[in-house]
Amino acid sequence: MARPRTERGTGMSRGRVDVRTDLEQVFRSNYAGVVAVAARVLGSRDQAEDVAQEVFLSFGRSSVPADEAGGWLTVAATHTALNLLRSGRRRSAREENACDGPAVVPDVADLVITREERSAVRAALARLPHKQAVTLVLRHSGLSYAEVASALDLSPGSVGTTVRRAESVLLKELNRHASPE
Amino acid sequence: MRHPSDGVLRRLVDEPAGVTDDDRAHVASCPACLRALDSARADARLVGSALAAPRTGDVDTDAAWARLSSAASATTTPAFRPAPTAARRRWGSAVRRPAAAALGAVVILTGAGVAAANDWLPIFQTERVDPVEVTATDLVQVPDLSAYGDLQITQDPEPGQVADAETARERTGLAVPEVADLPEGVTGEPTYQVAGVAEATFTFSADKAARAAAAEGEVLPPPPAGLDGSQLRLQAGPGVAAMWSQPTGVPTLVVARVGAPTVYSSGVPFETVRDYLLSLPGLPEGLADQLRTLSADGGTLPLPVPAELVTSSTADVGGAEATVLTSRNGLFAGVVWVEDGVMTGVAGSLSADELLSVARDLG
Repeated sequence: MARPRTERGTGMSRGRVDVRTDLEQVFRSNYAGVVAVAARVLGSRDQAEDVAQEVFLSFGRSSVPADEAGGWLTVAATHTALNLLRSGRRRSAREENACDGPAVVPDVADLVITREERSAVRAALARLPHKQAVTLVLRHSGLSYAEVASALDLSPGSVGTTVRRAESVLLKELNRHASPE
Repeated sequence: MRHPSDGVLRRLVDEPAGVTDDDRAHVASCPACLRALDSARADARLVGSALAAPRTGDVDTDAAWARLSSAASATTTPAFRPAPTAARRRWGSAVRRPAAAALGAVVILTGAGVAAANDWLPIFQTERVDPVEVTATDLVQVPDLSAYGDLQITQDPEPGQVADAETARERTGLAVPEVADLPEGVTGEPTYQVAGVAEATFTFSADKAARAAAAEGEVLPPPPAGLDGSQLRLQAGPGVAAMWSQPTGVPTLVVARVGAPTVYSSGVPFETVRDYLLSLPGLPEGLADQLRTLSADGGTLPLPVPAELVTSSTADVGGAEATVLTSRNGLFAGVVWVEDGVMTGVAGSLSADELLSVARDLG
């Protein structure tokens, strides 16, 4: 799993197995948000919950300060979800179909269109350069430019450039996908 | 003045305050920049809606926490799981609470005579509770008895990954069970983990046990005559496993086979050790009673699995009675049975029916 930079920076011991005592509090405060970020990348709540488990397990063994947990978890969830997305290997159709949940329960045609679109977006996202994709997801997950810059070791000035470029490429990919052959 | 960059225009959409006054003034009076800003705003809106997450507002945080806490605790349960990265102490543990060590010891000891399910507890826990971190070290384990005496590892199982099933067989003498038909959603080639025979000698120390109990604020009951300084020799393994994993590393399907552990005593009868361990402070009374009763009649061991997370039942697998464990959240299941001193387990993020089907068709 790709880990956010801050983990290395805070001196996490790789041999450590004790789970930190504040894990439950951090988990309960951040779980829904982490799932939402991962779901934004994956388009699947089921997979997003798996990613969240992985991310919180890593956090539980890290020494990331609790007051930095939110940002750390968001970045970790984005990296992990993107890696999963980009691996090109998805969990079985059975799992995807089973647990994405009855979101709005539109009619069948709408549901098909939504799934197709969702799938196209994820495919396009997976084709973006990794840094562009991460920056894009973090920005659209509500992180400020300063937070994105800090998480990804970018200058705040370059966040806008990266986001703008990523949006252009993503939309181009989607238009290409949508246009008739 | 030069036109601000695309990045600055993009930031104007989100954080106008982060853009300099000069740039803002320029954009406000520049038709080209205003058009570019409109374009950036429209693109941002489109991408925002394209990246909208599926509805996640009603996540079940309690259930998710139960799943995570069981996974997290599996890495700190000393009796059943070594610290995966503690290379120098593969059998060691991170936590040495006397009650936990005693529980592990009792599980091993009470199962010694019946070659029952004692050794599949760690494997079950690994699959069920901490599916991210299945390692070969999990295949063969002994409890951490060091709170009660001196545990000397006399043979290291040298766990590790091997290239293929044939190498696994050569390393362990165990044939990797062959899966006839992979369940839906399980694809690709498995990785193979092996571990050799593990052997350790434990020398009971009344003094050390008393100190461990005192550290927990407990008083150690006086040990029976002859127990202080007596030795137990523990042996387990070898083990072999084939694992199919998701990209995240979470095993989808694990098929494992491991030699059940045996215990040899240097003098003090097994029952004496068992009863003493069961009398130690910290062990829940009901659990101690259950262990005492079941080990007395030589029957199948109870599994100290977390009841709030797992349900168990039995099923027939090729004439053997298998125990079927299913996590209450439906995410994981396992099927385990023992034949001729060898335990075989099939587990993963599949339904119990799918795993039973795999188990019954194993080659």
